[in-house]
Amino acid sequence: MTAANATVSAGFRSWLQRRRGVLLLAAALVLFPFVISILIDGQGVGAVLANDQGNARFLQGLAIEIFILALYAISYDLVLGITGLLSFGHAMFFAVGAYSFGILLKSFDIAWPVALLIVLVAALIQAVLFALVLPRVKGITFALVTLGLASVFWIVIQSSDLSDWAGAEIGLQGVQPPVWFLDTTNERFAFYLVTIAILIGVFMVYTRIVDSPAGKVLVAIRDNEDRALMLGYNTFWFKLLALTVASITAVLAGALHALHQPIVTPNVAGLGFTVTALLIILIGGVGTISGALVGAAVFRLLQFYLDKWFGGASDLLIGLAYVAIVLYLPFGIVGTWRAKAVQRRKGLDFVGSLVSGRKR
Amino acid sequence: MSDVILETHDLRREFGALVAVDDVNVKIEAGTLHSIIGPNGAGKTTFFNLVSGTLPPTSGTVFFKGEDITALPVHRAIHRGLGRSFQITNIFPNLTVLENVRLAAQAMGRDSFRLFRSHGRYDEYLRRAAEVLEQVGLSGQELMPASTLPHGDQRKLELGMILAPDPEVLMLDEPTAGMAAEQVPELMGLVQRIQVAGTKTVVLVEHNMNVVMRVSDRITVMHQGAVLAEGSAAEIAADERVQTAYLGQLYEAPNPEAES
Repeated sequence: MTAANATVSAGFRSWLQRRRGVLLLAAALVLFPFVISILIDGQGVGAVLANDQGNARFLQGLAIEIFILALYAISYDLVLGITGLLSFGHAMFFAVGAYSFGILLKSFDIAWPVALLIVLVAALIQAVLFALVLPRVKGITFALVTLGLASVFWIVIQSSDLSDWAGAEIGLQGVQPPVWFLDTTNERFAFYLVTIAILIGVFMVYTRIVDSPAGKVLVAIRDNEDRALMLGYNTFWFKLLALTVASITAVLAGALHALHQPIVTPNVAGLGFTVTALLIILIGGVGTISGALVGAAVFRLLQFYLDKWFGGASDLLIGLAYVAIVLYLPFGIVGTWRAKAVQRRKGLDFVGSLVSGRKR
Repeated sequence: MSDVILETHDLRREFGALVAVDDVNVKIEAGTLHSIIGPNGAGKTTFFNLVSGTLPPTSGTVFFKGEDITALPVHRAIHRGLGRSFQITNIFPNLTVLENVRLAAQAMGRDSFRLFRSHGRYDEYLRRAAEVLEQVGLSGQELMPASTLPHGDQRKLELGMILAPDPEVLMLDEPTAGMAAEQVPELMGLVQRIQVAGTKTVVLVEHNMNVVMRVSDRITVMHQGAVLAEGSAAEIAADERVQTAYLGQLYEAPNPEAES
């Protein structure tokens, strides 16, 4: 009994050790609004809990947007960065979540867990829909077919026949928060915590997947799919797996988006929003998973602050910033950091060998 | 030793008007090293593709251990114990040497759809990969990206990837293609050791006649898609049809001084 307890606590301790970085990040994010409230707003801890107006509340809102973008981008990194599937229809994964969850809550008066379940079923269906295309087309053709699928969805949600539900080209508005902890207006801090929990949870699941036997096959497919097939892997099932996990993640991001934003516009189903995901993982580092988090933060903060400071000129500056990132950080922020880490370690080893006097 | 492990029956493949493989009947006995030779365009690689399931035949059947595997998709054939290599090096260039072989070993197990445990926990695959790398002489290079290996080592790596799942039949499509001449004996020695050590059968397509004549138990000569002759190395070397059709241009009597 005590021995079992000891192994459990040892296992837990090693888990804490391995997940140190992400757990510290989560703790920092939870404390962040309080720090802002005290240092910038000059208010107390209570102001955050009482949902008072101020920088703390505003920055939580911006952070939630970043978390939602990060969830969305992390799912794209699994599809493109890890598995190597060039999908140009990824925005549809997000938009299906945002629209279906929003419409179910607004027009059908369904309990939110049931609505969430229906949305997850929708996620499975769209993953299968994308996967059905897979055995027939590869590479750029897959990109175009998925773009076509997403464009159909983009047109359908703007149709006037569905305007009672989806709000045509204006977008979906008037989604009421179904429960207090999903109420971004009145319980901002609770919603903030919910989005942090979902993001950190998804991040941990993704890092596990990438390191798992199945994840290794996904990377093999990216590197040389024919070889993976010749090794005896039925690559179709692995690609379907990647699309399904990504689809579930993206609909979750979409559902959070529908709760957080007053309007869900049809833009979230457009090619532009797929490019957003692409930009985020390019900035963060393609195929790194954690790059999606870093990229989402850099992307949204650049967008927001450049717009705030420079107004109309911000688009140009954002463009220049992207060019600079691609030029100077060719593997993205996280990717380049990791590549340099190898060099740093080599350097340290070399110094170590000099000190210890061993021949290398 | 006369069990037939792999057999084709009137195997045929047409590309439009071209008959690339013309009703080929070959019986390959278990535990032998069986070479398939022939001039360029004789249909050797197409024959390989048909047998391994990479390409569907126009007509005819392939039997593996007495079972019809003609319509079996390529990823299923390998699970039955039929491994093959490619004329053009086919590896995972951006993965490490170890990971290349580990993936090959993992493919044979039942854990490939596991999502939530680290691959490192399934150490039987890691152990198998290390064992195979030792066997093909790539120990010590486990963590190199495969693309950084010299060409000869990449061919060895590919051989390791076929060996890792422990197949009964290895189909090797010009394993020495593009290798420096001095590396050829080493690789062929490796192939021979694999075949002699285990109960394995090797089907070899090879251009290097000295190599083929020395290592093969049996040789099938293909010419313009069809089987021209079949027999032991001595029989083939003595066969006049083969000499006039093909060997006369390429094969010179092995010169003891030039060897190894």
